[in-house]
Amino acid sequence: MVAVLIGLVPLLPLLVALGIGIDRFLWGDRGEAGEGVMARSAQAAAGGSLLLLLFLDLVALGEGAFPGQVMLFPWLESGSFRLAVSFTLDRLSLPMATLVAVVGFLTVRFSVNYMHREGGFARFFAVLSLFLGAMFLLVLAGNPGLMFVGWELAGVASYLLIGYAVERTTAVRNATVALVTNRFGDAGFLIGLLLAQRWALPLEWSELVAGAGELDNLHVGVMTGGFLVAALAKSAQLPFAAWIPRALEGPTPSSAVFYGSLMVHAGVYFLLRLEPLLLTTPILMVFLSLVGLLTIVHGAMVGLVQTDVKSAFIFSIQAQVGLMFLACGVGWFELAFWHMLAHAAWRAYPFLSAPSYMHLVQGRARPVPAWLAPSLALYALAVRRSWLDALGEMLILRPAHALARDLQTFDEWGIDRVVGHTQGGGSPSSLGEWESLSLSGHAPDSPEVAWGRGMLGRALQRLAVGCNWFEERLLLRSGREGFDRFLLRLGHYLELTDRLLAMPRYLLLLVIMTFVFLL
Amino acid sequence: MPELAFLLAIPLAGAGVVALLPKGRQAWVRGTTLTASLLTMGAAVWVALGFDPSESGLQFYGRLSGNERMGSDFVLGVDGLSLPLVLLAVLLNGLAVLASAKVVEHRKGYAAAMLCLESAVLGVFLAQDWSVFYIFWELTLLPVFFLINHWGGEHRGRAALNFMLYTMGGSVFMLVGLLYAFDVSGTHSFSMVELAVGLRETSPETQFLILMGFLIGFGVKMPIFPLHGWQPLAYVEAPTPVTMLLSGILSKMGFYGLLRAAVMLPEAMVAVQGFLATVALINIIYGGILAWRQSDLKVMLAYSSFSHTGVILLGIAAMNSAGLTGAVVQMVAHGLVAAILFLLLGLLAERGRSREVGHYGGLVGRTPRFAFFVTLAFLGAVGVPGTAGFVAELHTLIGAFQRWGWAALLLSVGMLIGAAYSWRTIGRLFTGPPLPGMGVIPDLERGELVPVVVLAGGVVGLGFFPMPLLSLIETSVGHLTALLGGLPG
Repeated sequence: MVAVLIGLVPLLPLLVALGIGIDRFLWGDRGEAGEGVMARSAQAAAGGSLLLLLFLDLVALGEGAFPGQVMLFPWLESGSFRLAVSFTLDRLSLPMATLVAVVGFLTVRFSVNYMHREGGFARFFAVLSLFLGAMFLLVLAGNPGLMFVGWELAGVASYLLIGYAVERTTAVRNATVALVTNRFGDAGFLIGLLLAQRWALPLEWSELVAGAGELDNLHVGVMTGGFLVAALAKSAQLPFAAWIPRALEGPTPSSAVFYGSLMVHAGVYFLLRLEPLLLTTPILMVFLSLVGLLTIVHGAMVGLVQTDVKSAFIFSIQAQVGLMFLACGVGWFELAFWHMLAHAAWRAYPFLSAPSYMHLVQGRARPVPAWLAPSLALYALAVRRSWLDALGEMLILRPAHALARDLQTFDEWGIDRVVGHTQGGGSPSSLGEWESLSLSGHAPDSPEVAWGRGMLGRALQRLAVGCNWFEERLLLRSGREGFDRFLLRLGHYLELTDRLLAMPRYLLLLVIMTFVFLL
Repeated sequence: MPELAFLLAIPLAGAGVVALLPKGRQAWVRGTTLTASLLTMGAAVWVALGFDPSESGLQFYGRLSGNERMGSDFVLGVDGLSLPLVLLAVLLNGLAVLASAKVVEHRKGYAAAMLCLESAVLGVFLAQDWSVFYIFWELTLLPVFFLINHWGGEHRGRAALNFMLYTMGGSVFMLVGLLYAFDVSGTHSFSMVELAVGLRETSPETQFLILMGFLIGFGVKMPIFPLHGWQPLAYVEAPTPVTMLLSGILSKMGFYGLLRAAVMLPEAMVAVQGFLATVALINIIYGGILAWRQSDLKVMLAYSSFSHTGVILLGIAAMNSAGLTGAVVQMVAHGLVAAILFLLLGLLAERGRSREVGHYGGLVGRTPRFAFFVTLAFLGAVGVPGTAGFVAELHTLIGAFQRWGWAALLLSVGMLIGAAYSWRTIGRLFTGPPLPGMGVIPDLERGELVPVVVLAGGVVGLGFFPMPLLSLIETSVGHLTALLGGLPG
């Protein structure tokens, strides 16, 4: 009973996301006429999940105990590796999931009017529903494997909505930056998962903690460290802090729910889940506090000099989340938990009303505080956002570029010679390219499609020519040439033989020859 | 038995009713044809529900005594090898009838021919007596000949002639082999079971000669290299629904026949194992290379079908549990994939009035449904995980690997070439700029979506849930493996 209900919670929004996709596929863009049904179904799904969670909360309150680990069905099994679709319903996940549902439902309701007559209405609601389903999975998952599914889906949803305005270069570039930065964290998550599998730990949360108790501290530390990197990237803590201000390119409701209220706290939630593991590795706790502290300073300083509403919000959020990391680092997990819930619940409101702030707030923006203004170094630090972008470019972008250039050279001089170069090989990407190709005589609509590139390709091409030649010989042709002619000629010869045999002298000859052979 | 007799009789009765309908009643003809197809499907489902997959012998067995002097009886039955093909046959035939809405001229003759063809194909899969098998085998020729010769494309005459001559030529060898087997077995019966018992006593040389006769007859139908000369032309010139049936189910008759012959001649089968595998690999690679070379969409599909049926032969040649399972699953998977590809690209070619791939470009914006389903179908053809083709190819690869080691990787070379032309076709058709001169190409209509969605659902459904099919064939495959595997390979 509980298993079915809890399974429905993430399923409802995911189904609506799928449904909107199918709707779009079958009936195309219906414009304003299609808005009603999409908005209603998205609201129904978010509301339905909320009601289900409230019911589960009531049951838990009534019984005075949480259901704990709820097993649905085994998902992957290979050797000793077991992964199940299971959910954890404890004092950590149930309140958080309920909060996700409340904020999610309200945001969906808000967006119905906010996104009215926007070009990407369907896309927005599909992705928002996808995100809600992903958040439920992330929060309720009973093992890190299933949590990773939610974690990734939330990342993809975030990417899709940052790049909502696909026609703007900045939006697309910022979406890519956010996605790539998050991939660093995902790599950490995967390393943690792989190590857990390598050391044959059972993956269910409760068993994982018990199993990790039997490993030595170093192993636990390395595994937890991987998970920690994921938490840092998702919550935009210091080495990864640069992506989140760029992420505000998306529509306001999505910014509010992703970076103001819900997804930004996913890292903190992960830390709370990992509490028993963290407590066994003090060095990670110290590291956490340090990162939290630095992020607080970074967020607070940079926030002071921002001149637009959304940026000011995002840096103050970063500082608040940094506080939660600090609290975890010094062991006050309870405090971090309440801070997270309160902050998530409250932040959605100012963020949603950000576009109308100019009307709500009278008067001028607050000037840069007096203690900051005179110090050139501090002011520069704040304005340049701690040089995180420059740092990222120097440490990651440029080395990656250099490596990519070297690899490309190797490709062009080595691999392309053998397998053929792939650039511009397939179909032309624009009408202009197509026209220039046809003018230069390489018309892409020429019947000759089978031209191979590189040594292998040319070998295949030659082989194909040979096969084709053989193939043409196999076909029986009717008409003047081919099989009919062969039959005609055969008939002609038979007729001739027949006529010759009809003459007595040849018949006699045949009889004599027969006797010669017989004797 | 009565259930199986219904399966044969319903389409024939439908054909009779269609022939008696008054002229000019197009809607009546279509209604009758659809009803007959649906009833046949119902009968097939009825048989499938009553089938017990845990039993290895024949079920729904029935025998009507026929010609005493000749030793031939009318014997019908199904087992785990034939039931999937029976289901595939009724499904594809129903969908082909559904997809024939555009055929307008001489609709009566067309409908009657389609229904006769269905009955004949089902007869091949249900017959448990070689003489009955041979009669139904020859009976499939006539409707196909008329369907190609009358409703086909520009070169239909040549295509029909080639089809007829090649298949008849093969059948002669099969008939000679069959008569020789009857002669040497000494059981004075054409029944599959009794003939198998009788032939077990004969020398390997005799068995080999008989098998060669069968192999040439079946090989033309499959087809195998170099007996495939009729195939590209027939697939191209036949009307789209007929091509669906030719590639989807008629080519499977040859492989099914070979499996039945294997039960009868196990020692000879084991002796030609290496030869069969070589031919299968030539099929896969040779067909792949030629498909890669074609710019004509339908010719490309014909060769790609030729290449993919090689996988079935390779699975049969492996003669172990994994290989035979792969072969039967590939029969079903290829039946679905070939049907959906010929259907979709046939519809596309009708709209664009050209079969040249270079004629199209950038269709994804104008025809998103075409783009989605064609891509899905090609993914299924390449055997991407999550499609039925993957289950089949993985089983076949494992079976071939167990038998021949690394040489089985040549199968992967064929798959690679398959992926090359599949991606090229998707890229040319759907990406890039919409070409000038392409004209207006409407997307799939609601009615056309029905067969497409059913086939695509089958491809993906069997990819994710292959267990029903696997458990259906498991016992029969185990039986066959025990028969073949006990011999030195």
